[in-house]
Amino acid sequence: MNPQRIGVYVCWCGSNIAKIVDVEKVARVMARIPGVEVSREYKYMCSDPGQELIMKDIKELGLDRVVVASCSPRMHEPTFRKTLKLAGLNPYMLEMANIREHVSWVHENQELATAKAINLTRAAVHRVMVHAPLVQHEVPVNRATMVLGGGITGMTAALRIAGQGRKVYLVERSDELGGRAIGVGRAGPHMNSVAALLDNLTTRVNDSAYIDVLTGTVVGEVSGFVGNFLVRLANGTRELTVGAIVVATGTQPFDAKKLHRSGYGRFPNVVTSTQFEEMAASGRFTTESGKAPRRVAIIHCVGSRDSETHSYCSRTCCMDALRFSNILRDALPDAAIYQAYSDMRAFGRDAEEFYARTAERDVTFLLFDKLLPPTVSEAPAGDPYPLLVTMDEIATGIAIEVPADLVVLMVAREACSDAKDVAKLVSISVDKDGFFIEKHPKLDPAATTTDGIYIAGSCQGPKDIPDCMSQAGATAARVLAAITMGKVKVPATTATVNEDLCVGCQTCISVCPYGAVIYLDKHRVSRVEEVICKGCGTCAAACPAGTISPRHFTDNQVLQQLEGLLAAEEG
Amino acid sequence: MNDSTKNVATPPPVPKKKLQMAVYWGAACGGCCVSVLDVHEALFLVLEHADLVFWPIALDTKYKDVEAMPDKSIDLTLFNGAIRNSENEHIAKLLRQKSKVLVAYGSCAHMGGIPGLANFSTKEKLFQRVYKDTESTVNPDNIRPQTSYTVPEGELTLPVFYNDVKPLDKVVDVDYYIPGCPPQTERLVDVFKLIVTGATLPPAGSVVGVFDKGQCDCCKRTKSDNKKIKKFYRPWQIQDDGETCLLEQGIICMGPATRGGCGARCIDANMPCRGCYGPPPDVADPGAKMMSAIGTMIDSDDPMEIQEIVKGVVDPGGTFYRFSLPSALLRRTVQ
Amino acid sequence: MSYEPKLVAFLCNWCSYTGADLAGTSRTKYSESVRIVRVMCSGRIDPTFVLKAFREGADGVLISGCHPGDCHYHEGNYKALRRYHLLTPYLVQMGIEPERIRLEWVSASEGNRFAQIVDEMTATLRTMGPSKVQATMANYA
Repeated sequence: MNPQRIGVYVCWCGSNIAKIVDVEKVARVMARIPGVEVSREYKYMCSDPGQELIMKDIKELGLDRVVVASCSPRMHEPTFRKTLKLAGLNPYMLEMANIREHVSWVHENQELATAKAINLTRAAVHRVMVHAPLVQHEVPVNRATMVLGGGITGMTAALRIAGQGRKVYLVERSDELGGRAIGVGRAGPHMNSVAALLDNLTTRVNDSAYIDVLTGTVVGEVSGFVGNFLVRLANGTRELTVGAIVVATGTQPFDAKKLHRSGYGRFPNVVTSTQFEEMAASGRFTTESGKAPRRVAIIHCVGSRDSETHSYCSRTCCMDALRFSNILRDALPDAAIYQAYSDMRAFGRDAEEFYARTAERDVTFLLFDKLLPPTVSEAPAGDPYPLLVTMDEIATGIAIEVPADLVVLMVAREACSDAKDVAKLVSISVDKDGFFIEKHPKLDPAATTTDGIYIAGSCQGPKDIPDCMSQAGATAARVLAAITMGKVKVPATTATVNEDLCVGCQTCISVCPYGAVIYLDKHRVSRVEEVICKGCGTCAAACPAGTISPRHFTDNQVLQQLEGLLAAEEG
Repeated sequence: MNDSTKNVATPPPVPKKKLQMAVYWGAACGGCCVSVLDVHEALFLVLEHADLVFWPIALDTKYKDVEAMPDKSIDLTLFNGAIRNSENEHIAKLLRQKSKVLVAYGSCAHMGGIPGLANFSTKEKLFQRVYKDTESTVNPDNIRPQTSYTVPEGELTLPVFYNDVKPLDKVVDVDYYIPGCPPQTERLVDVFKLIVTGATLPPAGSVVGVFDKGQCDCCKRTKSDNKKIKKFYRPWQIQDDGETCLLEQGIICMGPATRGGCGARCIDANMPCRGCYGPPPDVADPGAKMMSAIGTMIDSDDPMEIQEIVKGVVDPGGTFYRFSLPSALLRRTVQ
Repeated sequence: MSYEPKLVAFLCNWCSYTGADLAGTSRTKYSESVRIVRVMCSGRIDPTFVLKAFREGADGVLISGCHPGDCHYHEGNYKALRRYHLLTPYLVQMGIEPERIRLEWVSASEGNRFAQIVDEMTATLRTMGPSKVQATMANYA
């Protein structure tokens, strides 16, 4: 075996590291480890002169491995990998010791901090001795996209992608496009026609030469990986090959029957916001008896902001409730309208003004504490109105009963009951409420942790129409950026199976969250599809035979690191 | 026949020097020696090619006879048994000196084996139990074995009983390992044939007499990726269906973390593999690897439930390190 | 010199290591005892690593990953949870006190929590005194 030629570079980070850690001592101790060819300290390793120092040593001293003791690898590992690459070394022949975030910024005792910095750097030296060069592969990308869900979000995303001349398969489970927006007449705060919007989107989608609309279609199975997904439709007749998948499966309304206090399902004159939309669309507002209602109570937060059901705010119901009040006032000038709410969430442009305008239209607002929501009960026989809404009105501090002949429940929007199945289908995660989790809430909100799978709209969390459409646009842009390149880089730090030793016990198969480990029946061994693998290493830890190795985090690399980390104190 | 050769006398065949071979037992049960006897008809093959110069179970050769042999005069020594006392260690060193090739034969020499389970205890606790606490022991004077005792005729000695059981390679350099409790005799014959045919031997330090793949490769049971364990069963606690992977039925089987070589014989007899063939290559600690795998299989995400399920693993050390404790990362209980 | 515990912490890259980085950027002070080993996911942590740490002289081992449900790789942390509960009885059987190993969930935003756990565990280890594992394993008798 060739003698190793390691370069160690200890960074001062100005005074950030050097004022607590004796960087010269760290460098001095490292120089004594067999295999270390050169050990230096420098004021700013990440600066151009710092990087040039490393490159010069690599070339002149023939270094084959580099240790940089500086900040967190989460900060500058990409920087120094590039440095190695520029100097002609494989970028994975680098190991970093984090002596800033994990030492100088968190410790005060200089002696102990220096000892710890020595341990961490020695661990890096031991580890880098068993590093192996790794290669990052590229795979071609299929430029077609599947959009799952034909609501406003899905259609918008499909149109944006198709607008760039890329093929889209728009898959919708029901027989028509439109999703939850079907039947919604208008949207606040400007009372625009949702029907007109839907009509516009549907026509453009159906007219697009690039969009293949597949209604009444359910996806049976998704296999493959970023750039190369194979989608089998549930009817089994057709397979689609796509490079990216947009999940836009929306939400479902909360089932108010689950809340006894809501009266829903027990009293005919208690309706949900969904049912109210139907009334509004038909233009006929009636109670059970067929007459126009005279006293309407609209109750907010049914299934939202409630420890028994959903703790989150459904975001769109306050504006819907205001809209309903306006629709009712237009249709029934003499009816009494009550809104029982606990916080009026009228955020964003023109919403507060809409709230103010609604309040001027003889709508009575009643405030409740969200911990004590209103209860709907049957009025005693002989009362003029069949229902009683009982609540503590906290603005006045009075417990009140509101007689009503129609109660509208603003039901929560919740994740679809099959969201977990959808998540499993495309290997993405759901949060505790069943909403799909984005890769990063701020830095990458349209992508997921599975490459090639994107999300848009309220399946990620309740959103109104403008927000859904904005995210659909963002997601489309994200998809286009990915497929336009025509190829995708696969991480080098994937797991690999030593098939000569694999015993075929299949422990690893179900462990992989991405389905990257497959079992080859014919050869009775497992294999890692490296383009799917994310390099978490869980399969390696699960392998009883020790035949799976996660590149760059092998057993040996970690064990060597531990030996260096815990080696006896010196110098 | 060619006339010209007719009258040329055929030289008598030069007897090929036979392989000088020794078999020794350290802390062992005798099973390894029996496995050598188990060659059956192959014994003729062995005797044709080898002279057994030292084999306490079968021959009356004395230690002093071995001491008198020139260094490296034994071609092949199969050392079975662990190092439990000073006698084991002394003979291991002696045989190392006298042997060209020293093989750690069987689980005890390889990894410590069943005697190595004593590392869960201490010399003191063992003596206390054996010489004092056992129900049938009457020892009011608390007499313990003495390693030396002077009598008028001279000094009598006994080997020193060690606190720690060790595998052979902790006291001498070992050339090859043939694992198993005991090694499958066919594997010994395979290795023996390699040696006598002059085949190139694998690099020193190799484990030989094994298959390339682990136990599961020989196991006839059906396996799937459905390895979810809601409850652990010891073999007597469950009616095994006789067909499905034992792990999938909740029975801890060391098969996937164990080298092949025996032909999955325990599993064939509906008993789980206990790991006597030792870990596959590159596995630092077979018990830890198996714990890592088994942990993965536990079918719960709830800490309380997991702790309940784990209680089903009675004696984790004895389960995961039955044959390998003295060569494990934690080779004995902490003192 | 007084006894300074050696605590080895295996942290997942996405939550706990990032949380430890945050403790740094927030200048939250904690004990020098801890030495961090980064793995991509707590699901990577093989009991072999823990045993090796003890064998090499660690007085305590901390395993830390994303909170349940938050794993970057969906459910690697549950694998860590199960392995931890399987490993601990073995360690106890081998004479290693259960207080020397801890599993804690630390998110990327919980720098303070990381510091607090390290300090707590260091205090515990200080009270317990040095681990005897390394000495036991090194000295045959």
